[in-house]
Amino acid sequence: MEQERSLEGWTPELDGSMTLERVIDLAFDYRGNTTIVCTDGSEMVAYVFNRNKEVAEPFIQVFDDKGNGPFTIPYARIQSIQFTGKDTAAGRSWEAWVKRREAGANESRPQPGT
Amino acid sequence: MSVPAAQAWAVARHVVTNKLLRRKRYPLVMMLEPLMRCNLACAGCGKIQYPAQILKKHLTIEQCLAATDECGAPMVSIAGGEPLMYPLIGELVRRLVKRKKFIYLCTNALLLRERLAEGTFEPSRYLAFSVHMDGLEEDHDESVCRDGVYAEATAAIKDAVGRGYRVTTNTTLFDNSQPFRVRRFFDEMMELGVEGMMVSPGYSYAKAPDQEHFLRRERTTQLFSDVLSDKAKSWKFNQSPLFLQFLMGKKDFECTPWGNPLYTIFGWQRPCYLLQEGYASTFQELLDTTQWENYGRQSGNPKCQDCMVHCGYEPTAVNATFSSLKELKNTVVAMVTGKI
Repeated sequence: MEQERSLEGWTPELDGSMTLERVIDLAFDYRGNTTIVCTDGSEMVAYVFNRNKEVAEPFIQVFDDKGNGPFTIPYARIQSIQFTGKDTAAGRSWEAWVKRREAGANESRPQPGT
Repeated sequence: MSVPAAQAWAVARHVVTNKLLRRKRYPLVMMLEPLMRCNLACAGCGKIQYPAQILKKHLTIEQCLAATDECGAPMVSIAGGEPLMYPLIGELVRRLVKRKKFIYLCTNALLLRERLAEGTFEPSRYLAFSVHMDGLEEDHDESVCRDGVYAEATAAIKDAVGRGYRVTTNTTLFDNSQPFRVRRFFDEMMELGVEGMMVSPGYSYAKAPDQEHFLRRERTTQLFSDVLSDKAKSWKFNQSPLFLQFLMGKKDFECTPWGNPLYTIFGWQRPCYLLQEGYASTFQELLDTTQWENYGRQSGNPKCQDCMVHCGYEPTAVNATFSSLKELKNTVVAMVTGKI
């Protein structure tokens, strides 16, 4: 099965095909820290654990990189979101564990001449 | 079936009361995850992949109790992460027992012997350790991606049973499960002296590393029919007989996504234990603002089509028991005779 490509390191450029709302959805689905750039120029490194676009003033909720929070940030205050933190869901495949296990079993077998 | 009478009575009273009050939606088991941290990284689990600052966080006792009180479910399943790594687990259990909540402490048991020796818990009819066991030694160790876990877990089960604790097992079956090995595994668990077993098909978490071994619906009913038909008399299940009949394809139920609501450091997970589409800050907000019509098989939601997991369908089965005399009789007969 092909591994889904990680968004780690991605700096989205907002245009007609990539809206802020779409980037927020991707950030919500991302299992790593992001850098949230606000309209006033301030930045926050944080994990986006919630977003609600079904309310009058859509918002995201985050814990910052020290674990403080939750902080609520309205969509209207967000300029962009960059995927700067490590994607913790990427690169830990079951197949890799099976390979390690098999390699371990081979190492523990007596080798010829020992 | 092996659910103690006091627990069955508490559940029956809860369901009948809610029916009399004509509540359309009510919870049966509250899933409480006080932390995300775990001492295993199982291939089928998508619940622990978070940045370090999130894994270091945990709920306070007050947050846990406030959520439990608001939810009102008679049973609380403490999971995670690994709940025996939660530094306040002893106090949390004591205070939930005081509230007469029936607790399933879901653990991989790697720390269980240590916690028992420390005197973290006291035996109670309200407390059951629900030890994660996915099969015979080779199968379980492969499922949890670490050798030696089965051996430690079985030693811990024996220790807990010997100390007078209620102990159950919870098992997830995947599409590579072999019926004859599952049957041998059930024999082994009952020989350890557990009160009963819980079993469910796995769900394909979007963030789980292993995406290839989750069951499709037809394969699920075939597997559970092969495993549970002609069931051994010694096997006891700590779950609704109607749910087991559903897994065998003998019944067709719809999901009850609000039946086992999940509370974590993020709040109340929307819409269910398995799908992570957002969070509500209160249980009432979860009930009132989730678009429930978008979930369950009949909704057409592709994420729900192959799901037959206990957290959505066991509440349906329990509700069905109290919705007709036929299903009540069906349940009672299965509980008395042990036949599914």
